[in-house]
Amino acid sequence: NPIVLDLAYNYIDFPSLENRM
Amino acid sequence: AIEDLFTDLNRHIQRSEFAQAIKVADQVLSVAPTDEDAIRCKVVALMKDDRTEDALSTIHSLEKRNVDFSFFKAYCLYRQNKLNEALESLKGLERNPEVLLLESQILYRMGKMDACVEVYQKLQKSKVDSLEINLAAALILAG
Ligand SMILES: [K+]
Repeated sequence: NPIVLDLAYNYIDFPSLENRM
Repeated sequence: AIEDLFTDLNRHIQRSEFAQAIKVADQVLSVAPTDEDAIRCKVVALMKDDRTEDALSTIHSLEKRNVDFSFFKAYCLYRQNKLNEALESLKGLERNPEVLLLESQILYRMGKMDACVEVYQKLQKSKVDSLEINLAAALILAG
């Protein structure tokens, strides 16, 4: 089968904690 | 103070220490149970630590609140190969690039290549890196 990448995984992101520290 | 916990949490995230990040997120949540940043950190850390089932049960426990984790839920269900449920969870979301990408990957796994190619074509305006690799795969299998 052709190669398929899990591109959706790149959008599983932590929120920015910049203003919380 | 909660600021110190978030400093710890941020450090663990930067180092990809997901198990530690989950612990600190839980510490935040023990003093601030509705803190959205902590909740989101916990869910994402569980997902990145491959604890998909735990991520899903955390998301389920939040469903009465107004926090929308439909995209994360859909991704967890996709990882578990619960493809119909995954598609269901994407319904009603704005069709932004990440939603379209996940939809195309679900359709690919379902073997619905024509629908998959259609979604990838919509995505070509969005300049997603390496998109052409997945589009090529779908086109090959679409015949
Ligand atoms: K795909």
